[in-house]
Amino acid sequence: MTLEPEAYAALEQVVGPENISAKEAVTQVYGYNWGVELLNLQQGKGFSPFATTPAAVVLPGSTAEVQQVVRLCNRYEINFKAFSTGFGPWNTVSRPRTILLDLRRMNHIVEIDEKNLHVVIEPYVTGSQMQAELLRRGLNCHMPGAGPQVSALASSTSMAGPGFTSPVTGYAARNVLGVEWVLPTGDILRLGSLGLQDPDHADWYTGDGPGPSLRGIMRGFMGAMGGLGVFTRVAVKLYPFPCTPKWEVEGNSPDFAFRVPDFIRYHVLDYKTYEAMDAAMRKIEEEEICFMCFHTSPYGLGAIFNHSVWGFVKQILKYLFLKHPVVTMLTAHSQREIDYKEKALAALVNETGGRDLTTHKQVVPRGVSYAEALRCLLGFHGFLIGTSFQSTHGGLETMTMCSNMIQANIPLKKAYIKQKALGPDKGQGAWCTSYEHGHFFHAEFPAMYDQTSETSCQGMVDYMDKCDEMDLREHFASPFFVVGDKMHEKYGPECTNYHVWLRKIKEALDPQNRSDPGFYISSKVNQE
Amino acid sequence: MEPTRTLEEYRQLASRCLRCSLCKFIPQVAIKSQEFSTICPSIDRYNFHNYSGGGRLITALCILSNKLQFSPDVVDVVYKCTECGGCDVSCKYLNTLEPLEVIQALREKAVETGAGPMLVHKVYIQKVQEVHNPYGEKHGQRFAWLPDDVKLSENAPVAYFVGCTSAYRRKEIAIATARVLQAAGVRFTILGEDEFCCGSPVLRVGDKKAFTDIARHNIQAIQQRGIKQVIMSCAGCFSTFCVEYKRVANYKFKVFHTSQYFARLLKEKKLIPKIAIPKIVTYHDPCHLGRCGEPYKRWRGITLKILTVIKLTIPPKHLRRGQHGVYQPPRDVIRQVPGLKLVEMERNQGYAYCCGAGGGVKSAFPDFALFTSKNRVKEAKRTGAEILVSACPFCATNLQDAIREEGNTLQYHDISEILLKSLQGGA
Repeated sequence: MTLEPEAYAALEQVVGPENISAKEAVTQVYGYNWGVELLNLQQGKGFSPFATTPAAVVLPGSTAEVQQVVRLCNRYEINFKAFSTGFGPWNTVSRPRTILLDLRRMNHIVEIDEKNLHVVIEPYVTGSQMQAELLRRGLNCHMPGAGPQVSALASSTSMAGPGFTSPVTGYAARNVLGVEWVLPTGDILRLGSLGLQDPDHADWYTGDGPGPSLRGIMRGFMGAMGGLGVFTRVAVKLYPFPCTPKWEVEGNSPDFAFRVPDFIRYHVLDYKTYEAMDAAMRKIEEEEICFMCFHTSPYGLGAIFNHSVWGFVKQILKYLFLKHPVVTMLTAHSQREIDYKEKALAALVNETGGRDLTTHKQVVPRGVSYAEALRCLLGFHGFLIGTSFQSTHGGLETMTMCSNMIQANIPLKKAYIKQKALGPDKGQGAWCTSYEHGHFFHAEFPAMYDQTSETSCQGMVDYMDKCDEMDLREHFASPFFVVGDKMHEKYGPECTNYHVWLRKIKEALDPQNRSDPGFYISSKVNQE
Repeated sequence: MEPTRTLEEYRQLASRCLRCSLCKFIPQVAIKSQEFSTICPSIDRYNFHNYSGGGRLITALCILSNKLQFSPDVVDVVYKCTECGGCDVSCKYLNTLEPLEVIQALREKAVETGAGPMLVHKVYIQKVQEVHNPYGEKHGQRFAWLPDDVKLSENAPVAYFVGCTSAYRRKEIAIATARVLQAAGVRFTILGEDEFCCGSPVLRVGDKKAFTDIARHNIQAIQQRGIKQVIMSCAGCFSTFCVEYKRVANYKFKVFHTSQYFARLLKEKKLIPKIAIPKIVTYHDPCHLGRCGEPYKRWRGITLKILTVIKLTIPPKHLRRGQHGVYQPPRDVIRQVPGLKLVEMERNQGYAYCCGAGGGVKSAFPDFALFTSKNRVKEAKRTGAEILVSACPFCATNLQDAIREEGNTLQYHDISEILLKSLQGGA
């Protein structure tokens, strides 16, 4: 659907002719995304990787431009959706007459406050860009779990946001401080200390008091995925770089030689039973010695330490002998500290009946795997091995719950593996990490599927539905991808009617339902 | 079997694009600053996702799905790309897609349907067909640059394939190359009237048929003379011979870029640079010498789907990931020149930023070409270098345009010129 010339001209006036397009050559391409093929099947729309085509794509360059665009959307009754780096189906539009705000031009690191340990960023600053700049100052950040190439702002404000370094850096919601937010009405809301009335004190340093704390409303657990306006700037927490702050990389892709900085060590462990693994992860995290501590399946382990399909195939037998691996990474700022952590880990492995595969030279990660861990690139290896993968479940709770969920999921997944819908991982494919040194744990279940095969995709969709149902039935935690009206209507009544409250938030902030509710919730029941 | 590079053959592959945006940046583990973290000049300049490697994969899928036709807007997307292959390297760090192949297939399809190439490309293709160079210069003048003091050996087993840009526009490179070869005592010849444009400018904009004729002519001309080694000072010619000619025909002669040949001569002590050049120098990797210069290996085999989702090529297919390009030889030459201190740009070797001239961009979209070269010159200047060295006459033109435009103090030299300076002084 095209926009009226008057509306288009008004938008063009704001961003300039170079930064708006309603040409099919542009809009059709913005209709595509990874995972849309699953979504379409889920919604009975047939097998296609294309979602609804946006009416136009707009590239605002500042908060002021975003605000003007949103106000024009309200004036001309145009729907809108904003995205940053745009990875995943939730970056597509769900309704006709919707424009996409591609925030690519807003790519500034506004401020790095070394003293107060925060960085202020715009939407198109990626995790790796931010980390590279912080590294020069000996600092680090929580890296987006989706990969270093995605927006750190989007991860902080609008998505779940776990990551490989969650033992230390928590998940995205725990890292967001001051926020600048263009509401669906076009008003600007500033959260946390940024929202203080007194200009002498209004700053980015906290997301909660002093100042309005609306973090739960802004994003909650999963984020509104573009359903609540546009986040234009955000401050996120900083941490000391976990080891010697050096980044020396030479050579060429994919065999980069990364000089491993001082005081950082991988230790890949293996446990014979889930019970032992569960106990070990808890005990290790109690000691607060790990920068990274996560469980993955033997297949997952093979994937993250290989850079080619053939490499994976050649080595997979080695990994298949393993039972329940745990990948840990120790980091420190001195020899004494790393020695202590090594000793502590060795003692814990001994105590919990594990086997340290790295010490026994069975799994010795290459230098580049250290870089990938620090930069949060390990998860992306899943795409190299299969053609695509997607996660299910996604609970955030105790290790016991995660462990129960992992074990309960095996027979379900095996059924779809047997149907040849999913890649075979003995049903064990899981990624389970601690947040904040065991304060709580998170588990999700990556499954490999072939996105070019309708059979595989349909199998994946059915499997995802069954996983969500299992979460309800077994009282596991809230699943990842309960998004959109239909899903909320289905799961809300089973979960304290949260959907009623979610809708009230939407109604209050977006009475005209302008901000795309496709991956959030609509203002009115059954609307669109 | 390996695709013959028709768009249809890439449908499945295009359907696997993750739209992850890795193609917009240098490989993630190599990023050292925000400023120099990007790899794709096209998306850097035009911002809409279409103008990225992934965007063009999706464009291909849209065409294959009849969602798009080759409209002027689509053609604009297809041709505002330098075909530098940066997206390809970044994508293949952790994936098996072929963005560069798909972009080339899009162009070939555009030509096949009559929608491409751009008008200016059509003009130069005609010139190539008429006078064997895209500049429309007289074919008889192709070797007018040859200095009287350079002696050719008619039946030598070594030929210098000069290329159109060195022959007509960057004669200093041709002259320096010939003089360095002579200084080393290399007996070499040239193809004379039989040297035609290598066909790179024709192929890059999608005219596969015209290219094939040219490739066959040049291969035959070289083989008829019994030439065993062909030396090229143009990265574009080099990549065209090493990669694209091999798709057209098997040939027996060996292809060297001047940087490789000079590095060998230096190692064998046939060249001994003596005159010190006390300067800080940085080296720009031409895309077609570096990542796109990685040799093409013909693959015959089968693709097996195992474990439901894993596609395995048997025997293993060589995935061109840019790691086997020509990176060290030019650096070895620089290091042999007394006084020169080599400092690297942040984006180097397989993830070097493009100069902006390739893929028909310099002729069709000169502003875009200049936008890109200015970006690269800024990065070169940031190293503290006084001299920017590269190894391609096309890069030479565009980088010098940026230096001139910016009023920059950076000096530019081809690898042959800097070596000759150290051998002879002056040059």
